[in-house]
Amino acid sequence: MSGIVKSENAAVRTQPPALGPQRPVAWPARTAFRLPNGIQVVLAERRNFPRVRLELFFRSGNAVAMHRLPGLGEMTAAVVRAGTKSRDQRQVDEELRRMGADLGTSAGADTSAIAVSGLAEFLPGLADLVADLARKAMFPDRDFERERRQKLEELRIARTTSGFLGSERMRGVLFGHHPYARLAPTEKEVESYRREDLTAFYGEHYVPENALIVAVGDFDTMRTREIIEKQFADWKGIQSARPATPAPPELKGRQVHLVDLPGAVQAEVLVGNRAITRRDPNWPQLVLANSLFGGAFNSRLVMNIREQKGYTYSPRSTAHALREYGYFTVHAAVRNEVTAATLTEIFYEMDRMRSLPVGADELDDAKNYVTGAFSLGVATLDGVAGQVSSMYLEELPKDYLEKYRDKIQALSSEEIMAAARSYFDSVNAQIVVVGNAAVLRDQAELFGPVTEWTAEGKQRD
Amino acid sequence: MTQLQIPVEHTTLENGLRVIVSPDASAPFVTVGVYYEIGFRLEPRGRSGFAHLFEHMMFQGSENAGKMVHIKLINSSGGVLNGTTHYDVTNYYESVPSNALERVLWLEADRMRALHVDDENLRNQRDVVKEEVRVNVLNQPYGGFPWLDLPPVAFRKWPNAHNFYGDFADLDAATLEDVRAFFKTYYAPNNAALLMLGDVRPDEAISLARRYFGGIPAVPLLKKPDVAEDAPLEERRGEVEEKFGTLPAMAIGYHAPARNTPDWFAAGLLDQVLHGGRAARIYRALVLEKQIVVESSGGLNYPAGDLFDYNGPALMVTTIFHKPEYSAEATLAAYDEVIAEVCEKGVAEDELEQVKVKFFADYYTMLEGGMGSYIPRFGLMHYLACFSLFDGDPGRVNTVLQDFRDVTPAQVVAAASKILQARNRAVLFRRPSHNGGAQ
Repeated sequence: MSGIVKSENAAVRTQPPALGPQRPVAWPARTAFRLPNGIQVVLAERRNFPRVRLELFFRSGNAVAMHRLPGLGEMTAAVVRAGTKSRDQRQVDEELRRMGADLGTSAGADTSAIAVSGLAEFLPGLADLVADLARKAMFPDRDFERERRQKLEELRIARTTSGFLGSERMRGVLFGHHPYARLAPTEKEVESYRREDLTAFYGEHYVPENALIVAVGDFDTMRTREIIEKQFADWKGIQSARPATPAPPELKGRQVHLVDLPGAVQAEVLVGNRAITRRDPNWPQLVLANSLFGGAFNSRLVMNIREQKGYTYSPRSTAHALREYGYFTVHAAVRNEVTAATLTEIFYEMDRMRSLPVGADELDDAKNYVTGAFSLGVATLDGVAGQVSSMYLEELPKDYLEKYRDKIQALSSEEIMAAARSYFDSVNAQIVVVGNAAVLRDQAELFGPVTEWTAEGKQRD
Repeated sequence: MTQLQIPVEHTTLENGLRVIVSPDASAPFVTVGVYYEIGFRLEPRGRSGFAHLFEHMMFQGSENAGKMVHIKLINSSGGVLNGTTHYDVTNYYESVPSNALERVLWLEADRMRALHVDDENLRNQRDVVKEEVRVNVLNQPYGGFPWLDLPPVAFRKWPNAHNFYGDFADLDAATLEDVRAFFKTYYAPNNAALLMLGDVRPDEAISLARRYFGGIPAVPLLKKPDVAEDAPLEERRGEVEEKFGTLPAMAIGYHAPARNTPDWFAAGLLDQVLHGGRAARIYRALVLEKQIVVESSGGLNYPAGDLFDYNGPALMVTTIFHKPEYSAEATLAAYDEVIAEVCEKGVAEDELEQVKVKFFADYYTMLEGGMGSYIPRFGLMHYLACFSLFDGDPGRVNTVLQDFRDVTPAQVVAAASKILQARNRAVLFRRPSHNGGAQ
């Protein structure tokens, strides 16, 4: 259809139109089953685009091997794609291209993943490739050495990046001797990796008993089940016992950690404390409290230090959920002169959440935002895959996606204040400031005893 | 391979506003975009960074929706929003539950009709933008590399070559009068496209567009200045100091053929041959095999945009971060070997077939995807808008692949021999002022 349509010259409305009833959100049905060797499989059809995403997870990441070598999960994942008994690296890369696919192999603190996205018609080939990498990777010396060097160079650059330095220090402060304290290995540690360290991690953790497969996309569930069974059913291997982890430290009183990044022209400000995991029954309370505080554009923190005061471009607060522990952080990159002023406003907004009940309108607005933004995931392949994966990785109830909205809508102002009191622990909050220490020291000292760190991660006397 | 047919309906209102609808009722959400055909390329001289600063001002209030009302109304409807400034367009977009469609249209129409901002808003957003420039450029290793570094070396005309994020002096000089003038000149229905994608019926969408936008008057549009660059006569080189990062880097940019010419279609695939992931020529030769380079990437109009979302001079860019033990000249020589091989020996039939599959798959991924899933169909919206504003036909979203499908190996080589000439390129070196651990 095309052509000119006449305007009806309606009078300009001065009030926003009211909202009509919302159509319900329907998450795609999941078909979940376990193969006899222990692999958990979850399949969800989404048929409006000829694409598929196939993810194979292992419930082991950097944390489980921290006592051996930091970053081992990540390095193993980096080299796992470099070829198998039957395909060299070049074949892997060209096969992917031929199937219109992208492959990502990665590891975080708690999981390792081999994930492909590609054209749906190639699902059998994609499954074959993923299975081959998971079961028969060769870890060629040459590729291991190349990846090691890349990691070293990446670390050197990370040590000049204030965002990385801030996150690294915050994790160190919040988790002490727990494996979550280490965000990245040192150069020395990377230099000490041996190929056998990688193959040992692969042998112990890339095993069916430890695996979760999530496939979402344009496929028929029964047919996909057959493909998965064909590729993975005859695989054997059990997960060995995991080492016990030391408890993170008890944090009393505000401490300031000033990381010196010479040449920095801005201050990276973080405030944080430990909180809860996604499995905790209070997680919805924390999510909603976080959204009100600084998790949304229309939140108190953003209104205050961005829209009123212009201190920063991208202030945000985040509830982070790792498997064993969670933590809460507030983050803003600000011009040097307003570092103390920013911290003052962050604590003001934290304390306001702890002291005064949130009004009914503000609470309703935030509930709508949280449930809406959560549900937006239903409209994209990656959104569905992301929600389904995290649901199963975190072992959440099977109706988690369907019940989430009601859980958020049922929360009261009292529950939000209680959550703020528990999880926005301003009295014992840990402060990290990254930037030119000589310029920022005076402002940092206003908020508690200061410990100084170099960009290399060494404590200064 | 499956051929995708995206439903697209479009019309033009009497005031010149192009309205494009793509229905898909599979989820109860709708994505709305308003695209203005003005980007940082044509911002006023002496006001570098102004198109982007202006984009921020569009969130500061309009006649019936004061400061923060816009953001509050979208968030509290369960939706998300943002805006971005590109070379030749600036967009504003929202993804909301479909019951909030009318509310979004009211907000977008209100700010298209009557932006309402004051000096305090301008001061505030100037501060915010400066922190944005610091966090993304001045305080980042390789900040602005190469999207801000390379154009001044490659291009001679100010619109193509200036600092798109803005010199702080220019940001400081911007006045409320500049804001009013820019709004009056470019933010008009006949310089814009309105897109609605997702859970909406086309007839309903078009009648809502008419109701909310139909009364906004058109303005006389300026004649587009000629921004075409003269063909360069020799290779251009430049250098920028890298204050944080430890690896030497370089960006090589070849002047790209004009949009929609046979060479441009061939260049789209040549780009995949060179830059399409780990199987591509440059990554394979320099990172995986010779191991001179630590990381490499690239693309046509990379990294600030892609093949389809610009309408003026552009570059086919390669970025390289190389090991310090190799000199920049040795690294460039190794790169030139890869380039020479393509020009001299061409591409095999099978290689081109692989590349086409990946090219089409990437296109589908882009159409389906949503900026990390938070704006469903962001890519479809973006391409529909670009095809509409630049080519006059949003329906091209369904036909454009055919022109790439037809490209032969011989056409790729012919295009490569024209494009990949030293005199047709600019090389920008980003040299670290210190070198990691040794400082």
